[in-house]
Amino acid sequence: MAEKDKEILENFEQGEYKYGFTTDIETDTIARGLTEDTIRLISEKKQEPEWMLESRLRAFRHWQTMKLPTWAHLDIPEIDFQDIIYYAAPKPKKKLGSMDEVDPELKRTFDKLGIPLEEQMALAGVAVDAVMDSVSVKTTFRETLAEKGIIFCSISEAIKEYPELIKKYLGSVVPYTDNFYAALNAAVFSDGSFCYIPKGVRCPMELSTYFRINAEGTGQFERTLLVADEGAYVSYLEGCTAPRRDENQLHAAVVEIIVEKDAEVKYSTVQNWYPGDKEGKGGIYNFVTKRGLCRENGRLSWTQVETGSAITWKYPSCVLLGDNSVGEFYSVAMTNNYQQADTGTKMIHIGRNTRSRIVSKGISAGKSQNAYRGLVKVAKGAENARNYSQCDSLLIGDRCGAHTFPVVESYNPTAVLEHEATTSKISEEQLFYCNQRGLSTEDAVGLIVNGYAREVLAKLPMEFAVEAQKLLALSLEGSVG
Amino acid sequence: MLTVKNLHATVGDKEILKGINLEVKAGEVHAIMGPNGSGKSTFASVLAGNEKFTVTEGSVEFMGENLLEKSIEDRARMGLFLGFQYPVEIPGVTMANFMKMAVNEQRKFRGEEPLSAGEFLRLMREKSKVVELDSKLTSRSVNEGFSGGEKKKNEIFQMAMLDPKLAVLDETDSGLDIDALRIVATGVTKLHTEDNATIVITHYQRLLDYIVPDYVHVLYNGRIIYSGDKTLALKLEKEGYDWLINDYKE
Amino acid sequence: MALLNYIKEQGIDAAAASSVITLAEGGTAELYLNPNDMSVEVSEQQTRSLIILHQTDDAVSLSVDVAPFANIRIVEVLQGRGCVDCMVRQQTGSRCEIYTILLGDATADYTIDLNGKEASNMLRGAFVAGGDERQRMGVRVNHFSSDCQSDSLIKGVAGGKALGEFNGMVYVAQDAQRTDARQTSRNIEIGREAHIVTKPQLEIYADDVKCSHGATVGQLDSEAVLYMRQRGLSEAQAKRLQIEGFLKDVVMSLGELGEVLADELTAKLETL
Repeated sequence: MAEKDKEILENFEQGEYKYGFTTDIETDTIARGLTEDTIRLISEKKQEPEWMLESRLRAFRHWQTMKLPTWAHLDIPEIDFQDIIYYAAPKPKKKLGSMDEVDPELKRTFDKLGIPLEEQMALAGVAVDAVMDSVSVKTTFRETLAEKGIIFCSISEAIKEYPELIKKYLGSVVPYTDNFYAALNAAVFSDGSFCYIPKGVRCPMELSTYFRINAEGTGQFERTLLVADEGAYVSYLEGCTAPRRDENQLHAAVVEIIVEKDAEVKYSTVQNWYPGDKEGKGGIYNFVTKRGLCRENGRLSWTQVETGSAITWKYPSCVLLGDNSVGEFYSVAMTNNYQQADTGTKMIHIGRNTRSRIVSKGISAGKSQNAYRGLVKVAKGAENARNYSQCDSLLIGDRCGAHTFPVVESYNPTAVLEHEATTSKISEEQLFYCNQRGLSTEDAVGLIVNGYAREVLAKLPMEFAVEAQKLLALSLEGSVG
Repeated sequence: MLTVKNLHATVGDKEILKGINLEVKAGEVHAIMGPNGSGKSTFASVLAGNEKFTVTEGSVEFMGENLLEKSIEDRARMGLFLGFQYPVEIPGVTMANFMKMAVNEQRKFRGEEPLSAGEFLRLMREKSKVVELDSKLTSRSVNEGFSGGEKKKNEIFQMAMLDPKLAVLDETDSGLDIDALRIVATGVTKLHTEDNATIVITHYQRLLDYIVPDYVHVLYNGRIIYSGDKTLALKLEKEGYDWLINDYKE
Repeated sequence: MALLNYIKEQGIDAAAASSVITLAEGGTAELYLNPNDMSVEVSEQQTRSLIILHQTDDAVSLSVDVAPFANIRIVEVLQGRGCVDCMVRQQTGSRCEIYTILLGDATADYTIDLNGKEASNMLRGAFVAGGDERQRMGVRVNHFSSDCQSDSLIKGVAGGKALGEFNGMVYVAQDAQRTDARQTSRNIEIGREAHIVTKPQLEIYADDVKCSHGATVGQLDSEAVLYMRQRGLSEAQAKRLQIEGFLKDVVMSLGELGEVLADELTAKLETL
């Protein structure tokens, strides 16, 4: 080990340990509750410029006038918005000596998902030489990105370093007036990612990999802004297949994506938040507003694999503003035990010759409820719009529910829109066939479910496709009895 | 009647017809054979005027006029009939209603009076006999729920109703059993006169046992590479296309 | 007016609230002109056939109870600006066919409860909206019992500045196993100001089921137009014939009455 490297590691470790053993006196949190003072406090702690504070306050005042939405096919226990702590400095994880100290249940999950050892260690918070590797990996990434002019940093940093970009784009796709949770998020968002790809640049790596190693505790009200300037390309993955716990139950994130002329963005999400126990207690509420805006010839593709959370409520959407723009939505949403999901997409066709494609595969097991909700809307000037939607539901067991609520709305006679949905279960014949070839029923179900979800999984960045497959099988545990 | 000179046609970027030359006179029956993918169906579609294909070079003269500048329906009204390989279904539109419109359009084009309801019914009854078509089928939606054989018979029924100058039959025999084949082929032969002509596109010799061709052409890779008489078809049946294609390549 | 002529030809007094007409293909049907709220019962193993014509602007509710193994066919036409709210309750082994046509600025909502095993329901609907009309057709099929079958096909055409709306729901209760349900909504818009909204929905709580739905807006087979043009029809003629066919398909199996209804649909299409 080179002298310089050793030095870096020592400093790093010392730094970590210094924080690790601090008592709560130093912990940076504020009192529970949400008032205008809370907002000012948050903005102050983050050292934000005046215009940002103003923006938060505008959103907060609007939020106060809004009512909680109740139209979803979800049974949500009452949330007391005053009983939440709206600011806490990111808590560093306590460092473990080796993988042996990791909770065996967690390790078993990592192994089943096939997560590479270095990443397991990073996720579990193991402080060994491997951390050094991840530090140098981080550094290499940063350099490569910087060379191309790609900005990838936290949104708090971006507000200070790149105010012109933030002012131009933040809130342009999901304004604070959009919905209850978007307003709340605009007022109190803690942190998130900002990514800017300059004109004509093709981002050379999956930003996912970088993200994984950098896995900090995720904030409760995350705000992500991704801008692909003219002719740019980026493939971005958020989340990971490893189960994530968090003491905060409510997660109301906002993701905005701007796809400028001739650019392309692939945004993939793999979500496996804690879904609650087998009795349906606990578990995370994942209420997200995600929307992208496409300009001329722009292309936005949302891919999601949702297996976690007690309640998932999200509709990644595309506003196809520019001519010839294309929006795609590929989703596998799995619910088991007492989980609930109300998810889908909105494709709004405004420009001419726009196209959208929706492939949604829902899988319900246990006593869960899984609903697809979608909107395909063609505005008056949207000549030659084309849409194809396929929404299928697979039911495993007879105590769960699968629902489909599409809305197809057209104001233009040249549009060709097609929506299909089927609901079915895994047939006895299929199971018998697999059993007869020596597969256990559990394995058979995993195989069949993966075949069912194949079209969607094929859209994920390769290394995640493999993990996602394992994740689906894992999430079905106990559902076939 | 039909003169095709150096016809080139593409679909998208791909050139399918690479210079076809063909002359068909009244009273003649021409058979076009060739391996799959050689352009036989494309040739039929291009003659009919299917807008999916673009003619990039060459000329087609039909009945003394430039066929390529005419719309699909005008070509039909002039007397060109295409027997489709895969006749499409048109729900809710009855055969009777459809045929009445088509027959009267043709009459209008020729400056004739439309048929009265009674005259038309008589015509339908008469022509269904040509292919032993069940009269009940005429009140059903066009081709809806028809078996493969019924669809092909229906094509020939329409040919009988419209009495074209030139009939181009695209694989009229595909998917037919022995009886259906006999009926369809006999129907085509019955309709043949000294004043009209038929181009039969087929894979198999057996159709040509009934519809005896005056000329047999082999279409390969977008060109007619060989022409002969009906004995050519028999030879192809026995020996396949390889001998011919190898010759051509050399 | 083809429908009214057809009725007159049967020798029916148009002022009478209800009468019996003979159908060309055999059998009779009960004809109701502009009824008020109505209750219809079909007793066990009985068969009834109803034709209901609404020409006024009234709101009417129709309640239909179909006893075990009974059969009923309802042909309902709305020519005025009224609305119809129809509730059908089907018991074991019963069969119900509904043909519903909207020609005026009207709404029709059907709720079908399949309460007994092995009941089956078929619904065929067509609506043509023009001018400033706001037409809505709602079809809700509740599979409360097992082994039932339902099949709904609704076709709509909107022209002028009209709005055509379809709200569908197939609900399958938890123990309604071996349900076979299908719901299809097909729609065409003519002209730039017309507007279609279609919302077919599925809410499914049982697993051993076959359920599907489909919805399209603006899809007509271009191959069919090519075929017709090759037979000498102009493009406009071919497209027109195709849209007429699109709607007529819904009533084709109704024999002579079907032809009359087809004429009414074509007449309305011509005004768009």
